[in-house]
Amino acid sequence: MTERIENIRREFTEELSRVSSDSELEQVRIKYLARNGLIGALFDDLRSLPAAEKPAVGKMLNDLKRQAQQAFDDKRSTLEQSRGSREPAPDLTLPGRPRPTGTKHPLTQTMDEIKRIFAGMGFSVAIGPEIETDYNNFEALNFPKDHPARDMQDTFFISKNVLLRTHTSPVQIRTMQRQKPPVREIMPGRVYRNEAVSARSLVSFHQIEGLYVDRGVTFSDLKGTLVAFARQFYSIDVKYKFRPTFFPFTEPSADMYISCFLCAGGGCRMCKFAGWLEILGSGMVHPHVLQNVGYDTEKYTGFAFGMGIERIASLRYGIDDLRMFYDNDVRFLRQF
Amino acid sequence: MKVSLNWLKDYVQIPLKPADLAERLSMLGLEVESFEDLARKFDKFIVGEVVEKRKHPNADKLTLCRVDVGREKLDIVCGAPNVAEGQKVAVALVGATIPRNQHDPEGGPFVLERAKIRGLESNGMICSEYEMGLGDDTEGIMLLEPSARVGMPLAKHLHAADIIYDVEVTANRGDWLSHIGVAREIQVITGKRAVLPKVKIAQSRVSARKHATIRIADARKCRRYSSRILRNVRVGTSPRWLQDRLSSVGIRPINNIVDVTNYVLIETGQPLHAFDYDTLAGHAIIVKCAQDGDRFVTLDGKERMLNSDILMICDGERPVAIAGVMGGANTEISEQTTAVLLESANFEQGSIRRASKFLGLATDASQRFERGVDIEMTVFAANRAAQLIQELTGAEVLQGVIDVYPVRAKPRRISLRVSRTNAVLGTACTQQQVIGFMKRLNIRPSSVRKDTVVFDVPSYRYDLAEEIDLIEEVARVYGYDNIETKTSASVDFSKPIFFTSPVDEVRSYLIGAGFNEILTDSLQDHESGYLTQERAVEVLNPVSSEASVLRTSLIPGALRVVQNNRSRGQNDLRLFEIGSVFDVRDERLRESVEGYGEEERLLLVISGRVHAMHYALVERQVDFLDLKGEVEALLSKFCLDKYRFISYDSGSALIDSGLAVEINGSYAGFLGKISKSIAERFDIEDDVLVSEFKTAVILKESITEKKLRALPRFPSVRRDLAFIVEATVPQERIEAVIRGTGGGLVTQVRLFDLYVGGQVGAGKKSLAYALELQPLDRTLTDREADEFVGHIVRQVELACGAKLRSL
Ligand SMILES: [Zn+2]
Repeated sequence: MTERIENIRREFTEELSRVSSDSELEQVRIKYLARNGLIGALFDDLRSLPAAEKPAVGKMLNDLKRQAQQAFDDKRSTLEQSRGSREPAPDLTLPGRPRPTGTKHPLTQTMDEIKRIFAGMGFSVAIGPEIETDYNNFEALNFPKDHPARDMQDTFFISKNVLLRTHTSPVQIRTMQRQKPPVREIMPGRVYRNEAVSARSLVSFHQIEGLYVDRGVTFSDLKGTLVAFARQFYSIDVKYKFRPTFFPFTEPSADMYISCFLCAGGGCRMCKFAGWLEILGSGMVHPHVLQNVGYDTEKYTGFAFGMGIERIASLRYGIDDLRMFYDNDVRFLRQF
Repeated sequence: MKVSLNWLKDYVQIPLKPADLAERLSMLGLEVESFEDLARKFDKFIVGEVVEKRKHPNADKLTLCRVDVGREKLDIVCGAPNVAEGQKVAVALVGATIPRNQHDPEGGPFVLERAKIRGLESNGMICSEYEMGLGDDTEGIMLLEPSARVGMPLAKHLHAADIIYDVEVTANRGDWLSHIGVAREIQVITGKRAVLPKVKIAQSRVSARKHATIRIADARKCRRYSSRILRNVRVGTSPRWLQDRLSSVGIRPINNIVDVTNYVLIETGQPLHAFDYDTLAGHAIIVKCAQDGDRFVTLDGKERMLNSDILMICDGERPVAIAGVMGGANTEISEQTTAVLLESANFEQGSIRRASKFLGLATDASQRFERGVDIEMTVFAANRAAQLIQELTGAEVLQGVIDVYPVRAKPRRISLRVSRTNAVLGTACTQQQVIGFMKRLNIRPSSVRKDTVVFDVPSYRYDLAEEIDLIEEVARVYGYDNIETKTSASVDFSKPIFFTSPVDEVRSYLIGAGFNEILTDSLQDHESGYLTQERAVEVLNPVSSEASVLRTSLIPGALRVVQNNRSRGQNDLRLFEIGSVFDVRDERLRESVEGYGEEERLLLVISGRVHAMHYALVERQVDFLDLKGEVEALLSKFCLDKYRFISYDSGSALIDSGLAVEINGSYAGFLGKISKSIAERFDIEDDVLVSEFKTAVILKESITEKKLRALPRFPSVRRDLAFIVEATVPQERIEAVIRGTGGGLVTQVRLFDLYVGGQVGAGKKSLAYALELQPLDRTLTDREADEFVGHIVRQVELACGAKLRSL
């Protein structure tokens, strides 16, 4: 019996060593390891042995079975490995499954950044309607009737006294009518001008207005606040200048210029070879405006400013034609 | 407005370089947009003489001229009909920049090159007025005086060694619309006084008053009317210097009389009008308003309809001019004119503006009157014009100015507190400084008290009416640059600072969800505005029919965007817009103007393929459930489970079929597929799915106060159920029964299989759900779960006629 066991062990080892394919391996399994294979048959024979021999031979048989199974498993994984090395590893350079990417409109991005900077200086956001009264849009802002100042803003009328707001400044009036000083708000929104559409002008566009009214607010604070904004928004060492101008609702009024960030003041197409870019209009709130909302002009002073978002964004992103903002070509939008 | 440096020098010394003057004026608020050096402009232009003229052998209309330019004689091909031997002409040499190209519709400049014209070499060009930028005459070449010196640089001959500034005058500064006005601003810079020239006239013994009567019937609209009468006038061409001056500031010379009135206008800002004295009926001037419906032919030959608000200058019988706007054809200066009545008047600002607007006619005169003209200038201007006409034509100037001045203007006095000045500007100016600044502006102190100085304001400064106006003047003269830039910002924390709005969060979410934000015009064409059932708001004075109606929905604008993108091959779109829509309505909404509704909306749009092409994904077009999934995700993020879908009837042609959304019982918006007919109108072949919401409803119901709900401490149990029902039973009904029966224990119901076909029988469908049971207080045993699910099954079977199908 012991001899048969050793023969089978030798034959098994030899046959296994010759195996080179799955089918040969399967034949070996069926011949030796299957339930009615050669090793299985040895267990059957074990039953007929005398009881005294059974434990020793049984142990030999169990060892054989375990070792054969182990050798078989090893052979199988060797075969699998050798097969694996012939197949390439998974190609990680294949493109990932696509996901859509969203974008914020460049005008919204610009407005958000301006809002963020002013929020840091304590300004809240206020909004108002785009259909406005003549009173809020003009009269309360010290645009007299029959005054050429009204020509500064060509107006779309809805009815005699109702119009599409020409600037975000009526939100100043609404804000001040609603609350007592201190008022520190920025007012983003869409405005309308009755002008021919071109690369440089649109009938509707966006502005951000700012208003700060409190005790002791001076022109000096106006400059400081707007310079702080320009340093954050443009560059920390931006050069600037304020130039007198005229708006009916502020006095003194000032246009703010910064050194051209494309040519650093040397002159280029963007700044029309002036070296300076006009970025916003501003001024001390006119006492008439404060009176119109019932503020005590002896106690309170304030400043206001406004800027056109399309202009700011077009300078910033190098966009020549303002109409691109409203064309919404996704190849344009996806760049932002 | 164009301003000549040479002309300015008649009134004030200018010890500044041209560029520095531009910068300094701009820094005072008189913005110099650009300036031009005429000498440089006429570089390579020279006075020449045509010494020989021959026909061009190859062209009838061309001639070959030999032109003496001093150093040499040039052969030049010329096309002008009026060229002749012996003429003195303006010659552009090769390399000169011709200011205006006669053959270019835009009239742009070009550089002259040596050229062969019809086979003959041309070594220069004989220029027309138009080409030189000196006038509008394109017919023939410009002829110079016979005395012109051959070979002299043209700039020198034309006295054109001048700098022309183009300045932008703000609406408040009518006084800047004159050379003396600009000269006074230069006085502010240099401190050197600006003064008008002295006027000397040789008056005749004949009194003007005996030869004309002047009456003002409307003294509110006509504040003053001053007049001079001249006889023995010879109307003719103005001398070169006068023509050049006017041309240099862009005014076309006409005849000596009109040119003088224009010259004085540009000098003083006082509009003048010259009537042919002999055509004035009764030699009378009456200033009164027109009648509604009157018609009048102005100088430009156009007939104008008038109204009773428009002030007219009339003679004894009829109107002869629209006051402050334009004269009439009936009394115009002509070559036959021998006597002239000069009008130098002052009209009320608003009245002129209304007239100009009503007539659609803005002139040099009306522009100045509506901004305010110095009422104390009328007599000077009349005298100045009389003097110049006398000098030019030897005319007789009748004795005296007829000056009708019903209500003498009071000198304006304004008090200024130095303390207030510093409080507004943040400066520390002394009283002495402030008085010094004012003196530069011809604003003189009349009394000085402790803090307060009372100033007399010059009559030409209509913009100065109260203290703040003087504070502005202090700031201008002190210099904005010299005012401290106080960069220490203080933040006020006594009120909440609202920086981001909830709508910003919705926007960020959508960007994360792969949508591109768009912004579209809110003014649309009529048809787009009325695609919805709303009453659209229309603009009374649209710039074009394409932008005449305010949008009632964000959808038409977005469809246009889809159309445009598709035309560029961009078909796979995921877009959103947040913006206002408008309508006419009777009830008043918070914040909006009475009679009009204004509401912020959110629009989602998807169209094209679900995802970009990829080898491992099956390509397909988006459908309603893709959009519904986006909407569900959005709403569950912001409103948790407070929303539900209900059936929807849009009533408009926009949407085929869809669902409406209610949030906490309020209508919030809808989602659906754009109808075929509308899609076709926008040339869109693919399905477009849209969802439009009222942002206010989403935001009102959005969860702002977030509180933690404890996480479950016990395991959840999953049970799958499949039912067979009639195909017509909506899924929603089964799900509702499961949830209703399940109570709080069933935390999730997901449909994971939907099958219609042979195995379940005709007219039936099978729906398979995965249920999550989540007990809060204990672990659920298998038996408990089975019993609970069994109960749900019975309810579904009962309520929906369903049969459980074993999985
Ligand atoms: Zn530049």
